[in-house]
Order: sequence, then structure tokens, then C-alpha cells
Amino acid sequence: MFLAHVNPLQASIFSSLAIVSLLLTFVMLGSHWLRNYVYAFAAQSWLIAALSASVAYFGGYKELYAIAALTALFRGLVLPFLLMGIVAKLNVKREIHAILQPSSSLVLGAFVVMFAFVISNHMNRQPPPAAHVVVLALTIMLSMKFLGFLMLSVRDEAVSQILGLLVLENGIFLGSQILVPGMPLLIEIVILFDLLIVVACFGMLVRFLVVHAGTTSSRALNRLVG
Amino acid sequence: MGPQLLSILFLAPLAAIVLSLGVRNARIAEYATVGAAIIDIIVSVPLLLRTLSGSLFIAHNYVQVDTIGAWVIVCISIVYSLSSIYAVGYMRLLNEEKRLPVFYGLFSGFAFTMLAACVMNNAGVFWIAIELTTLISTFLVGFEREAESTEAAWKYIVVVSGGISLALLGTVLFYWGSSFVLGPSYAMTWVALRQSAPQVYPPLLLVSFLLVLVGYGTKAGLAPMHTWLPDAHSESPAPVSAMLSGALLNASMLGIARFLGVVTGTSVSRFAHSAVVGFGIFSFVLAAFFIVRQSGIKRLMAYSSVEHIGVQALGLGFGGPLGVAGALYHMLNHSLNKSLMFFGAGNAMRAYGSKEIRGIRRVLKVFPISGVLWLLGAIGIAGAPPFALFLSEFTILRAGIGGRYRWAAIVFVVFLIVIFIGFLSHFRAMYFDEASEPEIPRLPWTVWRTLPMWLAFLPLLLLGLWWPHGLWDIFHRVFLDVMGGGQ
Amino acid sequence: MILSNVVLQIGQVLCVLLLAPLLQGFILKAEERVQRSRGPSIFQPYRDLWKLFHKQLVVPESASWIYLIAPIVAFTAMLIVPILIPVLTDRPLPQSDMGDMLGGGMILTLGSFAIILAGLDSGNVYGGIGSSRAVMLAILTEPTLILVLVGISLLAKAMLPFVVNHLLLSSASTYWSPAHLFLILAFFALLLVETDRLPIHSSTHLEIYMIDEARILEYSGPLLALLKWASMMKQFILYTIFCNVFILPWGMSQLGTPLGQLGSIGALLLKFLLIALAVVVVETVQSRLRFYRYQEPLAAGFLFAVLAIVSSQLL
Repeated sequence: MFLAHVNPLQASIFSSLAIVSLLLTFVMLGSHWLRNYVYAFAAQSWLIAALSASVAYFGGYKELYAIAALTALFRGLVLPFLLMGIVAKLNVKREIHAILQPSSSLVLGAFVVMFAFVISNHMNRQPPPAAHVVVLALTIMLSMKFLGFLMLSVRDEAVSQILGLLVLENGIFLGSQILVPGMPLLIEIVILFDLLIVVACFGMLVRFLVVHAGTTSSRALNRLVG
Repeated sequence: MGPQLLSILFLAPLAAIVLSLGVRNARIAEYATVGAAIIDIIVSVPLLLRTLSGSLFIAHNYVQVDTIGAWVIVCISIVYSLSSIYAVGYMRLLNEEKRLPVFYGLFSGFAFTMLAACVMNNAGVFWIAIELTTLISTFLVGFEREAESTEAAWKYIVVVSGGISLALLGTVLFYWGSSFVLGPSYAMTWVALRQSAPQVYPPLLLVSFLLVLVGYGTKAGLAPMHTWLPDAHSESPAPVSAMLSGALLNASMLGIARFLGVVTGTSVSRFAHSAVVGFGIFSFVLAAFFIVRQSGIKRLMAYSSVEHIGVQALGLGFGGPLGVAGALYHMLNHSLNKSLMFFGAGNAMRAYGSKEIRGIRRVLKVFPISGVLWLLGAIGIAGAPPFALFLSEFTILRAGIGGRYRWAAIVFVVFLIVIFIGFLSHFRAMYFDEASEPEIPRLPWTVWRTLPMWLAFLPLLLLGLWWPHGLWDIFHRVFLDVMGGGQ
Repeated sequence: MILSNVVLQIGQVLCVLLLAPLLQGFILKAEERVQRSRGPSIFQPYRDLWKLFHKQLVVPESASWIYLIAPIVAFTAMLIVPILIPVLTDRPLPQSDMGDMLGGGMILTLGSFAIILAGLDSGNVYGGIGSSRAVMLAILTEPTLILVLVGISLLAKAMLPFVVNHLLLSSASTYWSPAHLFLILAFFALLLVETDRLPIHSSTHLEIYMIDEARILEYSGPLLALLKWASMMKQFILYTIFCNVFILPWGMSQLGTPLGQLGSIGALLLKFLLIALAVVVVETVQSRLRFYRYQEPLAAGFLFAVLAIVSSQLL
């Protein structure tokens, strides 16, 4: 496995990039303004692109340079641009937190990270020093999953829910760059394009929501029950 | 022979898409879709028979047609053809002439992606196909641009996308686990996964499987991840509901079945099977409660789908040749029966103008013949003989009652009775209760809306009375190849 | 010539005692200068203390002995803590193992606690408000403080601040490790709250908005001078801990010569300059948060502390 031969410098670079990405997820979780969410997501995507590039450099996976460029382009520029367009069109600036305040989400997120750490420790049987980066990658992947689901569940606004889904995919992408950089290229490219299509669909759907349901807040989507 | 059949299978819906979207004429779109569906079903049966003599590997091993994939293709093609015939009659009632070509284009695209998912050899590409089905079907669900349909489409795409991203995580973890055995870069075919699974670190394997189970279970409608299902199935047009229930849920169960086959024979096999049984029983019980207290006719059918997916999961979880055979036979029977039910429900909704059960009364006066079919279909879907679902459920029961999941089999039987009573009491009310208004609604009769009901009913009755021996061979082959029977 | 340990130890305490008002003066002036006004002289707090010591003491009728004791307790606590932490020298002096980091934290809190009691003691309404708000903030900050101390102990595998200081000096990978960086951020959030800075506290003459100043409204004369001096020393001590244990561990005297001591004092003042500038920038950018939002920066601090502990296990 690639990580079995990693030296401390590489390990610390991967670790820092991954941890700052996790931190940006917390920024998304804890802020009130929709624009900050999108900016944090863009920054996170750039960091993941940097991670791909560094894995490519240290591991000798030439294809990953292309993946890094595509990630930076699609997830770092095009997707945030589309999302900002949706936010501007919707005229919604602020998220009203009806269920969980940002500070409580932060504390809950902290516990989630601890839980993810326990699971990842259990799943790993590598010896150190590779063990550290592996457990870190698994922890961050799982925590970004949980935090994405947290964002999906406690947020009302349609755009925040889209961002929650994108954070889910970002988490998987981050983890897969560190753990399985040799995974066939095809999958990663299609995942990237897939996201583009997803956001386009969401954009259209959001427009439908505004036109037909009158609002994009999911508190109002309560006609179908039982 | 095999590759040609496969290419015809895929070219037909592709041609239908091109024709529908290129020539923006509703009639041409309708006939193209029906034609493509009939071609598909004609081609899928020989394809299934062809796989009995060995799986097909095409396109550098990216495409694999094995027995279970071909079986699901048959089920999907059946639903595709029945729904497309019904759609011709139903969609004309919606007064949406201009957008019909888009509908049929999306419809065939939906069928195409589901068929593609069945033949993907690579677990990652399988995921991509499932994701594409979600994207396309969202627009089908929200086709009638009402507030409720938009709400249903939104809930559908958010919940299901979240769910299958879990499946993607599971897939990545499977890849990582097997990369210790197969090297850092390898093609993630089902066979490769199955061969390397015994050597993967068991906790990692277990976590990966559970993630995949929950992820694809969301798409398949296992409780408690089923929350999108009643909304999406009840708000979409009836042909789309039939496709969603009869075809899409099967494609997702295929994913669960394949991954279950991967971990069978390893040390986590027991826990994995228990997890599948657990989800199956939970879906069944939950659906039973919601069926008993249900007010919407299509939501009732949707919860019935949750129930039957639970039964399929039970069959897969019980394992063994009987369990697998029961689950696969159940796939076919459920596709037939659920299509029949949704067609009837669609007719009723259009005639009475209401989605509520209490708004539908004295069905036999409005639909003398297809009403009888609908009632018989209801008896069938509640699991009574002489209809096919009884046979498959009985087989699954036989598989479960002998082994260590006896408790699940007993709960299964008890709640089967509950569902029988609950489901049929709604139908009793619709057929034999007095109505408050004296006037009887009228719906013009067309062959497009009744023929599919006959075409769904007759095989249902036939398969309930006679289980073809050839099917046993197919199911046994699936058990040996895919579900770990050969080890 | 190497000074004896006793002299060094007394010298540390004197340094804190005498230079604390200078730090306060600098911060106040810097805040004003950033807003393009002239601001008071940096020696103004000395003059204020001198003035207060020469004023008459007025004691409310309803006050008890706590009213007289509390400022003395607070002042004394602030004199004890510099014995325990690395201020000027980076080798432990004899009395510094009287208490480790947790002990130092407890003594600091003892000082605050005494003042809270004093605010309640005289029965003044605003004193009560100030004390209750101060306690609420203490509830929010204590978990983070404990976790930060736990985190830094896990990093250094010891509870003495001197060990941490040596570790950070010797190992660059520990200094730049995510655990350490997170701890710096967490402690910075704590620093802002404990030293009465925005976004939580703001200096206002309206009693209804006061948090900490409301507790000492009843005091006058020398006792007020002691209280003010105690809070200035607390600020100095927290800055010292932040610099010498967390972020800028360089520049401390190793041998104990007088020249080394003076150089160490100079380095200390320079480090404080940087931190104070950072604090002033944060203050100028922020406005005061609503009461219900006090939890947010502290939750962020808590989060950072937890992440620091998790990453210290991982790396």
C-alpha cells in the first residue's frame, strides 16, 4: 500500500491538508450566512486538489495531477460559482437555525469526530508510522460523512442541504485520495462530472421549488405526511 | 449471440430516447418507447438462457452478464414494457402534450440506466449507474409540476443521494480492504472482491458491508431509510410509480445481493446475513403498521413495496438455495403484481379525481372488468394463493424456519396476517362500501390502460399455479455463482 | 555571575507585579491608535494606581469581611502564579513544583472566584448581575480550559509548563503539529474571554451591559487599586502562559545571569507586543456579541481543544 512507505514529511503534509479540510467543514457547520458556506466549500475543494497533487508528487501517480486540476476547476470554481448563482437568485442570505444552534452543532461535531476516531482505530491494522495517516484519513472521511449528514438533518434551506450532500462526497474524495490513490481513474473523473450534473439538477429543482412550492425552506415541505 | 443480444437490449431504449427527444412528436415518442420496451423483453429472455451456460464478459471485463444480472434485466424489461403501454393511455389524460416527448425520453433513459446497472462488472461503475438512475428519475417524479410533486422530488433526491453516498464510501472501503490482497491498483470486479474478501481485515470488511447495505438499502426502500418512498411513489405519474417500484427497487436489491455474495464465506458472513434479515424484518413490520392506517391509495401501494422489499431482503438474508430462490422469484412476482396494482390505482385516481381511499367507492360499477383484475391483484399482493407471491413467500418462509432465523420467520408470518387484513380492508371499503355521492364517475375505456393489467395478471396467476422447472435451474445457478453456494 | 534561585524567583514575581500595568497601558493605547485617536500614555495605569492608593476607602454598610478579604485574596493569588510558570527563566526554579499547570489554573480561578463573591457580598444589584454573568462565562470557558491543559499535557506527556516549553523548543515537528496549532487557537479564544476583550466584554459606563466591571462597582480607594492591579496581573500571566508555553517559547534566560534576566524581560515585552497587536486587531474588527451568542466562540474553542486531543493521538 502506498501509505506503508510514507516518510514523516509527506505524512505531515497530508495530515495538515486533511485536517484543515475538516476544519472548513466545521466552519460550514457553524456559520450563519449562506455565502460563508459556499466559500468554505470552495476552500475545502482547493485543499483537496492540493492533496491530490501532493499524493501524485510523492507517490508517482501521474494521473492524479489531472484529477487535481479537474477537482480545483470543477469543485473549486464551477460548483461554487453555480451555488452562488443559486443563492443570489433565491435572495436568501441567512440560515435560520430552528433545530440546532451553530454552537451546539460545533460541540456535537466534536463528539462526532471522537466517535469516528474510535471506529477508524478499530478498522485499522497497519503498524505505525503508516497507521497514523491511515487512521487520520479514515477518521476525517467518516467525520465529514457524519457532519454532512448533520448538516442535512438540521438545516432547513435547500442550498444548505445541497452543500451537505457535497460535503459528503468531498469527504469520500479526500479519503480515497489518501487511502486508494491507485483506484482506476475512470471512477474519479466520473464522480467529478457527476457532481456537476448533480448541482445542475439541484439548480433546476430549486427553481421549481420556488415557483411551485413557494419557498426553498424545507420547513414548508410538509404536505406529504403519513 | 450473447453480445449481439446485449447490444440490441441497449440500443433499443437508446433509439427510443433519440427519437423522443429529437422528433418532438408525442405520438412518435409513445410508439418508439413501446416498441423499444417490447424489443427489450423479447431479447432479455434468450439472454437469460444464454447466461446459464456461463457468464458473458464484454468490453474489457467492464460488462458482465451473469445469471442474476440477466434475471433482473428480465424483471426490468417486463415492467418497462407494461409501464410504457400503460403510459400511452395514462399520460394522454394529463393534458401535457407538449412535454410528453421529454417524458418518454426520460422514461427510456431511466430504463436504460437501470439495465446498464445490471451488467456493470465494476462495483464503482455500478454505483455510477445507480446514481444516474436517481438523477433521471427525479425529473420523472416531479413531472407534474405541482407543489406536492416538487416536494416529493426534492425529498427523493436529497434522501437517496445521501444514502448512496454512504454506498460509495462502502465501495471505497471495500476497494481499500482488498487492495491489501490484490495490490494498489486493480479492477474492482465482483469476482475479484469475492476472492479477496476472506483475507481482508474482518472489522474493515464488516464496516464496508454495513455501509453498502445502508446505502443501497436507502435506494431499495428498506426501513428506516424508506422515507422518500411513499412520497416519490405517490406523487409521480402511475407508470413512473410502477417503474420505480417494480424495476428500480430490484436494481438496488441486486447491489445488496452482490455485496452479500462477496462477504458470504468470510468470518463476517453471519453478522452480515443477520443485518440483512434485521433490516428486512424491520421494513416488514413498519410497512405493516403504515398499511393498516393508510389513507392514500398510492401511498398504500408504496408501503406495500416497502413490505415486499423487506421480504426480498429476508430471503437474501436467510440464504441457502431456498432463500435465494425465493427472493429472486419474489422479484419477478412483485414486479408483475405491483405494476398491476399501480395501473389500477392510476385508473381509479383518474376516474374519481382523488388520491384518497375514502374518495374511491363502488369500483366495480366504474371498472367492471379491470376492477376485478385489480381486486384479484390486491388479494395476490397480500400474499394469498393461487397467486405467485404466495409461492415465493412460502419458499422464503421455508428457508427461514429451519435455521437460526426462526424468530424472524415467525414475526414474518404474524405480520403477514396483519398486512393481509389491513390491505384488504381498504379494498373491501373501496369495492363494497356505500358511497356518499350517487353519481358514478366515468372514464373512457382504452385498450392502452387495460391491456397491461391483463398482461400483468395472467402471468401472475400462471406462475402461482406452476413454478417452471427452468427457473429452479436459474436460481440454483445464481446461488452457486453469486451468493456463495459454491464455496 | 549567576543569580541565586531565590533572587530569580522573587525577580519573576516582581516582573509580573511591576510590568502588568505597562501591558495594560500599551493595549489601551494601541486600541486608540488603531482608531486614529491619540490615546492615553502607556504609563497611565501606573498613575491611576497611584491615585487610587491615595484615595479614601469607603465601605458599604451591608458589606461583610469578605468585602475586605476578597481583593487581598485575588492579589495574592496573582502573586503566587508567577512562581509556578516560566516567566523569565526556562529551567524550573525550586518552588515551581508547588503546583503544575492544573494547579496554576486553579489558583487563577481562585482569584476570580474571590472577586465574584465580593460582587455578591454587598447586596448591590449590579454586583449580582456582574457576578452571575461572570459565572456563566466561567461555565462556558472552564471545559475548554481543562481540555486545553489536558491537550498540552498529552502532547508533552507531562504536566509541567517547563517541560512543554523545552519540547516546543527542541522539536519543530511538535511545534508545527496540528495538535499544537489547534491548542494555540483554543487558548487564544480563551485569552480573549478571560482578559476582558471583545467580542464578549466591552468597556462601557452603562452598568446594565457590564460583565466584569459590575462586580467591582462597590469598591474604592486602595482595595479598588488592588483589584485593578490583580486583573492586570491576570492578563499579564495569561499572556505569559500563552507566549512561553504555547506560541513563542524562545527568548528565555537559561543561566540566570542578571544580563540574561534583563534580556529575558526585553524579549517578554517584545512577545507581548506581538500578541497584544493581534488582540487589538481582533478587537477592532469585532463588535460585541449578543448574550445568546457567547457560546459560539467558546464552542469553537472547545472544538479546537477536542480536535487537538484527537490529533495528538493520531500523529
